[in-house]
Amino acid sequence: MSVARRVVALMLFASPAFGQDVHLQARLDKPTMVAVNALVDSARIAKLPTAPLVDKALEGAAKGSDGLKIIAAVKQLSIRMQSAKRVLGSGATSDEIKAGAGAIDVGVSVRDIARLRAASGKRAVTMPLSVLSDLIGQAVPISTATDLVVQLARSGVKDPELVLFQRNVRGDIGRGADPTVAATTRARGLVLRTGGAGTKPSE
Amino acid sequence: MREDDDIQLHQIAKALRHAAPVSASFDARVMRNIRALPRHSRYGVWSRLTTPRTITVTPLSWALLAASLVLFATVGSVRASVDLHRLSRPFANVLFRQRAAAKPEQRVQFVLVAPDAKKVSVVGDFNGWDASHKSFQARHRGGGVWSVTAPVPVGNHRYSFVVDDSLWVADPTAPRVADNDYGMPNSAMVVEAQK
Repeated sequence: MSVARRVVALMLFASPAFGQDVHLQARLDKPTMVAVNALVDSARIAKLPTAPLVDKALEGAAKGSDGLKIIAAVKQLSIRMQSAKRVLGSGATSDEIKAGAGAIDVGVSVRDIARLRAASGKRAVTMPLSVLSDLIGQAVPISTATDLVVQLARSGVKDPELVLFQRNVRGDIGRGADPTVAATTRARGLVLRTGGAGTKPSE
Repeated sequence: MREDDDIQLHQIAKALRHAAPVSASFDARVMRNIRALPRHSRYGVWSRLTTPRTITVTPLSWALLAASLVLFATVGSVRASVDLHRLSRPFANVLFRQRAAAKPEQRVQFVLVAPDAKKVSVVGDFNGWDASHKSFQARHRGGGVWSVTAPVPVGNHRYSFVVDDSLWVADPTAPRVADNDYGMPNSAMVVEAQK
């Protein structure tokens, strides 16, 4: 290796900024930080979004979790994002991958994510995936929630309408409605209002 | 016999010392043929850059270079200077990090009723889960009501309140999301773009 190459390599690797997040440095102990940085670097090489991984580590640090738990959480998220990227395709955006990982985390299968991807056509699936995860979080059964969101996507429902649907379902559940009934009724109304070509959501 | 040899050698040397007659156009023809030959690759720019050559460096220059490298490596490995981190961050972002696209923000009001609290802050994926973030420190409005209004990027978010720097409290007015990783539930919210 020439002297010039050695100098450049030394300068890069000695730099405190190289491949590290200053927030992680301030909030994690050194072994945990090294492990998390390695996972973040691997994600970067795999062309996965790295911000959610850093965010996950910071969340663990803020909650006082020990290093092993933080590393495991970051690793699991990285695996979920890899699965999401695989099913959403190489053209998936960071937000889509993040939303896909969130859906997998709440129990949506990779096959159902593929269904949603296909039903959405060329539109982004960030919002449908987020709404799907939210419905499941509101105690709507996974299969019901998946079918409803796939139907809404197939009907051409746009993101602002999906956000409104999500808010209405939350409101209904907050007022005491059964989660499944609330989601199904609101989805049916939205499909009718949209006049979509898809099949109407089942009762 | 030896004398004859010496005479013969003398005659040969004399003959060799005598300049051979060369025609006037000989030099011109030789140079023309030389110029017609293809240029050797070592005269190219790339060859000039890559061909090893000897550079003379004074001992003082070497000492300065070595001292600079030692200083830089020491500072880098210690990683103790907060100022250096702050200064290097923009460059690191440009060189090594995937820059997040700037998302529009909306001002969001967070409200928590906590009559016994001494301090309430909001943490979430929008502020790096940093309970000391200045923009997310709630103020006591009286009657045990704490609130803060702060800018949050458009999109889906997870967040929580932190009471007295130790107690994590989910927002009672927002849906909760399970936290399978750390065991403390967060609240969920959707920040919509302004129409």
